[in-house]
Amino acid sequence: MDASAAKLLGAGLSMGLGALGPGIGLGFLIGKALEAIARQPEVSGDVRTNMFIGIGVTEAIGLYAFVIALILIFVAK
Amino acid sequence: MAEVAPGQASAAVVERRRSRVRRVWIGVVLVALVALLFLPGGAKETFEVSQEFTLHPIVKLPKVGPVDLSITKAVICLWITVGVLAVIALVVNRSLKAQPGRFQYAIEFLYELARDGIAGSVMKSGRDTWFPYIGSVFFFVLTANLIGLIPLPFGEHGQLAFYAATGNLNVTVVLALFTFLFTQYAGVRNKGPVAYVHSWMPKGAPPVLREFIFVIHIVSEVFRVVSLSVRLFANMVAGHAILAVFFAMALIFQNYAIAVVLQGGSVIIFLFEIFVAVIQAFIFAILSAVYIGGALEQEH
Repeated sequence: MDASAAKLLGAGLSMGLGALGPGIGLGFLIGKALEAIARQPEVSGDVRTNMFIGIGVTEAIGLYAFVIALILIFVAK
Repeated sequence: MAEVAPGQASAAVVERRRSRVRRVWIGVVLVALVALLFLPGGAKETFEVSQEFTLHPIVKLPKVGPVDLSITKAVICLWITVGVLAVIALVVNRSLKAQPGRFQYAIEFLYELARDGIAGSVMKSGRDTWFPYIGSVFFFVLTANLIGLIPLPFGEHGQLAFYAATGNLNVTVVLALFTFLFTQYAGVRNKGPVAYVHSWMPKGAPPVLREFIFVIHIVSEVFRVVSLSVRLFANMVAGHAILAVFFAMALIFQNYAIAVVLQGGSVIIFLFEIFVAVIQAFIFAILSAVYIGGALEQEH
Protein backbone atom coordinates (compact mmCIF):
# COMPACT_ATOMS: atom_id res chain seq x y z
CA MET A 1 0.00 0.00 0.00
CA ASP A 2 1.55 3.30 -0.98
CA ALA A 3 1.88 6.28 1.31
CA SER A 4 -1.11 8.31 0.16
CA ALA A 5 -3.48 5.37 0.49
CA ALA A 6 -2.11 4.64 3.95
CA LYS A 7 -2.58 8.28 4.94
CA LEU A 8 -6.23 8.31 3.88
CA LEU A 9 -6.87 5.01 5.56
CA GLY A 10 -5.27 6.27 8.74
CA ALA A 11 -7.38 9.41 8.63
CA GLY A 12 -10.56 7.42 8.22
CA LEU A 13 -9.67 5.04 11.04
CA SER A 14 -8.65 7.91 13.30
CA MET A 15 -11.92 9.75 12.94
CA GLY A 16 -14.06 6.63 13.03
CA LEU A 17 -12.53 5.04 16.10
CA GLY A 18 -12.09 8.41 17.75
CA ALA A 19 -15.81 9.08 17.61
CA LEU A 20 -16.69 5.98 19.65
CA GLY A 21 -15.51 7.21 23.02
CA PRO A 22 -17.05 10.69 22.96
CA GLY A 23 -20.28 9.25 21.60
CA ILE A 24 -20.67 6.88 24.54
CA GLY A 25 -19.48 9.53 26.97
CA LEU A 26 -21.91 12.14 25.71
CA GLY A 27 -24.74 9.65 25.89
CA PHE A 28 -23.96 8.94 29.54
CA LEU A 29 -23.55 12.59 30.39
CA ILE A 30 -26.73 13.85 28.81
CA GLY A 31 -28.69 10.88 30.14
CA LYS A 32 -27.55 11.59 33.68
CA ALA A 33 -28.38 15.25 33.25
CA LEU A 34 -31.86 14.36 32.04
CA GLU A 35 -32.36 12.08 35.03
CA ALA A 36 -31.28 14.83 37.37
CA ILE A 37 -33.67 17.32 35.77
CA ALA A 38 -36.49 14.82 35.95
CA ARG A 39 -35.83 14.14 39.61
CA GLN A 40 -35.58 17.75 40.69
CA PRO A 41 -36.91 20.24 38.14
CA GLU A 42 -35.97 23.28 40.23
CA VAL A 43 -32.23 22.76 39.65
CA SER A 44 -32.62 22.38 35.90
CA GLY A 45 -30.81 25.68 35.23
CA ASP A 46 -27.68 24.65 37.14
CA VAL A 47 -27.77 21.15 35.75
CA ARG A 48 -28.10 22.45 32.22
CA THR A 49 -25.16 24.84 32.63
CA ASN A 50 -22.89 22.12 33.95
CA MET A 51 -24.11 19.73 31.29
CA PHE A 52 -22.98 22.13 28.61
CA ILE A 53 -19.55 22.39 30.22
CA GLY A 54 -19.34 18.60 30.25
CA ILE A 55 -20.46 18.40 26.62
CA GLY A 56 -17.78 20.87 25.62
CA VAL A 57 -15.01 18.95 27.31
CA THR A 58 -16.15 15.55 26.04
CA GLU A 59 -16.74 16.71 22.49
CA ALA A 60 -13.20 18.06 22.39
CA ILE A 61 -11.80 14.52 22.65
CA GLY A 62 -13.57 13.60 19.44
CA LEU A 63 -12.27 16.76 17.86
CA TYR A 64 -8.68 15.80 18.66
CA ALA A 65 -9.24 12.73 16.48
CA PHE A 66 -10.64 15.01 13.78
CA VAL A 67 -7.56 17.20 13.90
CA ILE A 68 -5.30 14.15 13.58
CA ALA A 69 -7.30 13.10 10.54
CA LEU A 70 -6.90 16.56 9.03
CA ILE A 71 -3.15 16.49 9.68
CA LEU A 72 -2.90 13.09 8.03
CA ILE A 73 -4.78 14.16 4.94
CA PHE A 74 -3.37 17.62 4.36
CA VAL A 75 -0.06 18.01 6.13
CA ALA A 76 1.70 14.67 6.37
CA LYS A 77 4.00 13.69 3.52
CA MET B 1 -77.09 9.15 -1.92
CA ALA B 2 -79.13 10.26 1.08
CA GLU B 3 -80.84 13.61 1.16
CA VAL B 4 -78.38 16.16 2.59
CA ALA B 5 -78.69 19.92 3.02
CA PRO B 6 -77.26 21.97 0.12
CA GLY B 7 -74.42 23.42 2.30
CA GLN B 8 -73.14 19.99 3.29
CA ALA B 9 -73.28 18.64 -0.27
CA SER B 10 -71.13 21.45 -1.67
CA ALA B 11 -68.71 21.03 1.27
CA ALA B 12 -68.20 17.40 0.27
CA VAL B 13 -67.72 18.39 -3.38
CA VAL B 14 -65.18 21.08 -2.40
CA GLU B 15 -63.33 18.56 -0.24
CA ARG B 16 -63.11 16.06 -3.08
CA ARG B 17 -61.91 18.72 -5.52
CA ARG B 18 -59.31 19.91 -3.03
CA SER B 19 -57.94 16.42 -2.48
CA ARG B 20 -57.84 15.86 -6.25
CA VAL B 21 -55.82 19.06 -6.73
CA ARG B 22 -53.51 17.91 -3.95
CA ARG B 23 -52.99 14.55 -5.63
CA VAL B 24 -52.24 16.23 -8.95
CA TRP B 25 -49.62 18.42 -7.27
CA ILE B 26 -47.98 15.43 -5.57
CA GLY B 27 -47.89 13.66 -8.92
CA VAL B 28 -46.27 16.67 -10.61
CA VAL B 29 -43.60 16.94 -7.90
CA LEU B 30 -42.80 13.23 -8.09
CA VAL B 31 -42.49 13.33 -11.88
CA ALA B 32 -40.24 16.40 -11.59
CA LEU B 33 -37.99 14.66 -9.05
CA VAL B 34 -37.67 11.58 -11.25
CA ALA B 35 -36.92 13.75 -14.28
CA LEU B 36 -34.29 15.68 -12.31
CA LEU B 37 -32.70 12.38 -11.39
CA PHE B 38 -31.98 11.73 -15.05
CA LEU B 39 -31.08 15.22 -16.22
CA PRO B 40 -27.37 15.59 -16.92
CA GLY B 41 -25.48 17.44 -14.18
CA GLY B 42 -24.28 21.02 -14.32
CA ALA B 43 -20.81 22.40 -14.88
CA LYS B 44 -18.19 19.72 -14.47
CA GLU B 45 -16.08 21.38 -11.81
CA THR B 46 -14.36 19.52 -9.07
CA PHE B 47 -14.96 20.62 -5.54
CA GLU B 48 -12.15 20.78 -3.06
CA VAL B 49 -13.23 21.32 0.51
CA SER B 50 -9.74 22.41 1.49
CA GLN B 51 -10.03 25.41 -0.83
CA GLU B 52 -12.39 26.96 1.68
CA PHE B 53 -9.66 27.07 4.30
CA THR B 54 -6.53 28.09 2.42
CA LEU B 55 -5.64 31.73 2.92
CA HIS B 56 -4.70 33.76 -0.13
CA PRO B 57 -3.26 37.21 0.50
CA ILE B 58 -5.63 39.93 -0.59
CA VAL B 59 -3.26 42.83 0.03
CA LYS B 60 0.29 41.63 -0.16
CA LEU B 61 2.49 43.09 2.58
CA PRO B 62 6.11 42.20 3.32
CA LYS B 63 7.25 39.60 5.78
CA VAL B 64 8.76 40.74 9.06
CA GLY B 65 10.98 37.86 10.11
CA PRO B 66 8.86 34.72 10.10
CA VAL B 67 5.59 36.66 10.28
CA ASP B 68 3.81 37.34 7.02
CA LEU B 69 1.91 40.59 7.35
CA SER B 70 -0.26 40.20 4.23
CA ILE B 71 -3.92 40.91 4.66
CA THR B 72 -5.90 37.70 4.15
CA LYS B 73 -9.54 36.90 4.69
CA ALA B 74 -8.77 35.86 8.26
CA VAL B 75 -7.37 39.32 9.01
CA ILE B 76 -10.39 40.98 7.46
CA CYS B 77 -12.72 38.75 9.50
CA LEU B 78 -10.93 39.78 12.68
CA TRP B 79 -11.23 43.45 11.79
CA ILE B 80 -14.93 43.03 11.04
CA THR B 81 -15.41 41.31 14.41
CA VAL B 82 -13.70 44.12 16.29
CA GLY B 83 -15.60 46.73 14.29
CA VAL B 84 -18.97 45.10 14.96
CA LEU B 85 -18.27 44.82 18.68
CA ALA B 86 -17.13 48.44 18.92
CA VAL B 87 -20.16 49.69 17.00
CA ILE B 88 -22.56 47.65 19.14
CA ALA B 89 -20.97 48.88 22.34
CA LEU B 90 -21.05 52.53 21.25
CA VAL B 91 -24.62 52.33 19.98
CA VAL B 92 -25.89 50.73 23.18
CA ASN B 93 -23.97 53.14 25.36
CA ARG B 94 -25.29 56.25 23.60
CA SER B 95 -28.92 55.49 24.20
CA LEU B 96 -29.22 53.66 27.51
CA LYS B 97 -32.81 53.82 28.73
CA ALA B 98 -34.38 52.73 31.97
CA GLN B 99 -37.00 50.86 29.90
CA PRO B 100 -34.78 48.98 27.47
CA GLY B 101 -35.76 48.58 23.86
CA ARG B 102 -35.24 45.27 22.11
CA PHE B 103 -31.62 45.82 21.14
CA GLN B 104 -30.56 47.02 24.58
CA TYR B 105 -32.49 44.14 26.13
CA ALA B 106 -30.61 41.63 23.99
CA ILE B 107 -27.24 43.10 24.87
CA GLU B 108 -28.18 43.24 28.56
CA PHE B 109 -29.21 39.61 28.39
CA LEU B 110 -25.81 38.64 26.99
CA TYR B 111 -24.07 40.81 29.57
CA GLU B 112 -25.94 39.20 32.45
CA LEU B 113 -25.31 35.77 30.99
CA ALA B 114 -21.59 36.51 30.94
CA ARG B 115 -21.51 38.07 34.39
CA ASP B 116 -23.83 35.80 36.36
CA GLY B 117 -24.12 32.67 34.30
CA ILE B 118 -20.46 32.33 33.37
CA ALA B 119 -18.24 34.28 35.73
CA GLY B 120 -20.58 34.34 38.71
CA SER B 121 -21.54 30.69 38.71
CA VAL B 122 -17.94 29.47 38.68
CA MET B 123 -15.73 32.07 40.35
CA LYS B 124 -16.96 33.03 43.77
CA SER B 125 -14.41 35.55 44.94
CA GLY B 126 -12.81 36.84 41.77
CA ARG B 127 -15.95 37.54 39.80
CA ASP B 128 -15.74 41.31 39.67
CA THR B 129 -12.01 41.34 39.09
CA TRP B 130 -12.06 38.88 36.25
CA PHE B 131 -15.40 39.59 34.63
CA PRO B 132 -13.88 42.10 32.16
CA TYR B 133 -11.68 39.37 30.70
CA ILE B 134 -14.32 36.63 30.75
CA GLY B 135 -16.93 38.93 29.28
CA SER B 136 -14.56 40.13 26.57
CA VAL B 137 -13.62 36.60 25.60
CA PHE B 138 -17.26 35.56 25.51
CA PHE B 139 -18.37 38.47 23.33
CA PHE B 140 -15.36 38.21 21.03
CA VAL B 141 -15.68 34.48 20.39
CA LEU B 142 -19.46 34.78 20.00
CA THR B 143 -19.20 37.59 17.45
CA ALA B 144 -16.34 35.94 15.55
CA ASN B 145 -18.21 32.62 15.35
CA LEU B 146 -21.43 34.26 14.20
CA ILE B 147 -19.70 36.42 11.59
CA GLY B 148 -18.25 33.19 10.21
CA LEU B 149 -21.79 32.21 9.28
CA ILE B 150 -22.43 35.30 7.14
CA PRO B 151 -21.37 34.85 3.50
CA LEU B 152 -18.87 37.52 2.56
CA PRO B 153 -17.08 38.05 -0.75
CA PHE B 154 -13.90 36.11 -0.03
CA GLY B 155 -13.83 33.87 -3.09
CA GLU B 156 -11.22 34.10 -5.79
CA HIS B 157 -13.44 36.04 -8.19
CA GLY B 158 -15.40 37.87 -5.53
CA GLN B 159 -17.70 34.97 -4.82
CA LEU B 160 -19.42 34.70 -1.48
CA ALA B 161 -17.80 32.37 1.02
CA PHE B 162 -18.02 31.52 4.69
CA TYR B 163 -14.96 32.07 6.82
CA ALA B 164 -14.77 32.28 10.60
CA ALA B 165 -11.95 34.16 12.27
CA THR B 166 -11.89 31.48 14.95
CA GLY B 167 -11.54 28.79 12.28
CA ASN B 168 -7.86 29.60 12.29
CA LEU B 169 -5.60 27.86 14.78
CA ASN B 170 -3.48 30.99 15.25
CA VAL B 171 -6.41 33.02 16.57
CA THR B 172 -7.62 30.36 18.98
CA VAL B 173 -4.13 29.65 20.28
CA VAL B 174 -3.73 33.33 21.11
CA LEU B 175 -7.04 33.34 22.99
CA ALA B 176 -6.09 30.19 24.89
CA LEU B 177 -2.67 31.67 25.71
CA PHE B 178 -4.39 34.71 27.17
CA THR B 179 -6.40 32.42 29.44
CA PHE B 180 -3.25 30.53 30.43
CA LEU B 181 -1.34 33.74 31.19
CA PHE B 182 -4.20 35.17 33.19
CA THR B 183 -4.51 31.90 35.14
CA GLN B 184 -0.87 32.04 36.20
CA TYR B 185 -1.12 35.78 36.90
CA ALA B 186 -4.20 35.28 39.06
CA GLY B 187 -2.54 32.55 41.07
CA VAL B 188 0.68 34.45 41.53
CA ARG B 189 -1.06 37.67 42.47
CA ASN B 190 -3.30 35.87 44.93
CA LYS B 191 -0.75 33.79 46.76
CA GLY B 192 2.72 34.94 45.77
CA PRO B 193 4.80 32.94 43.30
CA VAL B 194 6.34 30.41 45.66
CA ALA B 195 3.10 29.58 47.45
CA TYR B 196 1.29 29.29 44.12
CA VAL B 197 3.73 26.78 42.69
CA HIS B 198 3.71 25.03 46.05
CA SER B 199 -0.06 24.70 45.86
CA TRP B 200 0.29 22.41 42.89
CA MET B 201 1.47 19.71 45.24
CA PRO B 202 -1.23 18.13 47.39
CA LYS B 203 -0.74 18.38 51.11
CA GLY B 204 -1.38 15.02 52.66
CA ALA B 205 0.48 12.61 50.39
CA PRO B 206 3.81 10.75 50.47
CA PRO B 207 6.71 12.74 48.90
CA VAL B 208 7.18 10.69 45.73
CA LEU B 209 3.48 10.90 44.97
CA ARG B 210 3.54 14.66 45.55
CA GLU B 211 6.23 15.17 42.95
CA PHE B 212 4.44 12.89 40.53
CA ILE B 213 1.22 14.87 40.92
CA PHE B 214 3.25 18.07 40.52
CA VAL B 215 4.56 16.91 37.15
CA ILE B 216 1.11 15.81 36.06
CA HIS B 217 -0.29 19.18 37.08
CA ILE B 218 2.28 21.02 34.99
CA VAL B 219 1.48 18.84 31.99
CA SER B 220 -2.24 19.41 32.47
CA GLU B 221 -1.76 23.17 32.69
CA VAL B 222 0.07 23.18 29.36
CA PHE B 223 -2.47 20.83 27.85
CA ARG B 224 -5.27 23.22 28.80
CA VAL B 225 -3.93 25.67 26.22
CA VAL B 226 -3.98 22.95 23.57
CA SER B 227 -7.44 21.72 24.48
CA LEU B 228 -9.05 25.17 24.64
CA SER B 229 -7.62 26.23 21.31
CA VAL B 230 -8.18 22.95 19.46
CA ARG B 231 -11.74 22.62 20.74
CA LEU B 232 -12.78 25.99 19.32
CA PHE B 233 -10.73 25.60 16.13
CA ALA B 234 -11.90 22.09 15.28
CA ASN B 235 -15.55 22.88 16.02
CA MET B 236 -15.47 25.82 13.63
CA VAL B 237 -13.48 24.01 10.92
CA ALA B 238 -15.63 20.89 11.05
CA GLY B 239 -18.79 22.95 10.93
CA HIS B 240 -17.64 24.96 7.94
CA ALA B 241 -16.41 21.86 6.10
CA ILE B 242 -19.82 20.22 6.55
CA LEU B 243 -21.52 23.42 5.41
CA ALA B 244 -19.29 23.57 2.33
CA VAL B 245 -20.08 19.95 1.42
CA PHE B 246 -23.81 20.37 1.91
CA PHE B 247 -24.01 23.58 -0.04
CA ALA B 248 -22.01 22.07 -2.92
CA MET B 249 -24.00 18.86 -3.20
CA ALA B 250 -24.91 19.54 -6.82
CA LEU B 251 -21.23 19.78 -7.78
CA ILE B 252 -20.22 16.70 -5.87
CA PHE B 253 -22.94 14.42 -7.12
CA GLN B 254 -23.43 16.01 -10.54
CA ASN B 255 -27.14 15.46 -10.09
CA TYR B 256 -29.92 17.98 -9.57
CA ALA B 257 -32.32 15.67 -7.71
CA ILE B 258 -29.88 14.98 -4.89
CA ALA B 259 -29.10 18.69 -4.62
CA VAL B 260 -32.79 19.55 -4.37
CA VAL B 261 -33.40 16.94 -1.70
CA LEU B 262 -30.35 17.95 0.32
CA GLN B 263 -31.03 21.67 0.39
CA GLY B 264 -33.31 20.98 3.33
CA GLY B 265 -30.34 19.33 4.98
CA SER B 266 -28.29 22.45 4.29
CA VAL B 267 -30.78 24.59 6.17
CA ILE B 268 -30.82 22.22 9.13
CA ILE B 269 -27.03 22.06 9.24
CA PHE B 270 -26.86 25.85 9.11
CA LEU B 271 -29.19 26.16 12.11
CA PHE B 272 -27.09 23.61 13.96
CA GLU B 273 -23.99 25.64 13.15
CA ILE B 274 -25.55 28.71 14.74
CA PHE B 275 -26.19 26.64 17.86
CA VAL B 276 -22.61 25.33 17.85
CA ALA B 277 -21.24 28.86 17.45
CA VAL B 278 -23.08 30.10 20.54
CA ILE B 279 -22.29 27.01 22.59
CA GLN B 280 -18.58 27.13 21.76
CA ALA B 281 -18.37 30.75 22.85
CA PHE B 282 -20.11 29.84 26.11
CA ILE B 283 -17.83 26.85 26.69
CA PHE B 284 -14.65 28.80 26.00
CA ALA B 285 -15.68 31.54 28.40
CA ILE B 286 -16.83 29.22 31.14
CA LEU B 287 -13.74 27.01 30.94
CA SER B 288 -11.56 30.12 31.15
CA ALA B 289 -13.53 31.12 34.24
CA VAL B 290 -13.08 27.64 35.73
CA TYR B 291 -9.30 27.72 35.17
CA ILE B 292 -8.88 31.22 36.56
CA GLY B 293 -11.16 30.44 39.48
CA GLY B 294 -9.18 27.28 40.12
CA ALA B 295 -5.95 29.27 40.31
CA LEU B 296 -7.49 31.72 42.73
CA GLU B 297 -8.48 29.19 45.33
CA GLN B 298 -6.38 26.11 44.86
CA GLU B 299 -6.67 24.06 48.01
CA HIS B 300 -5.32 20.71 46.98
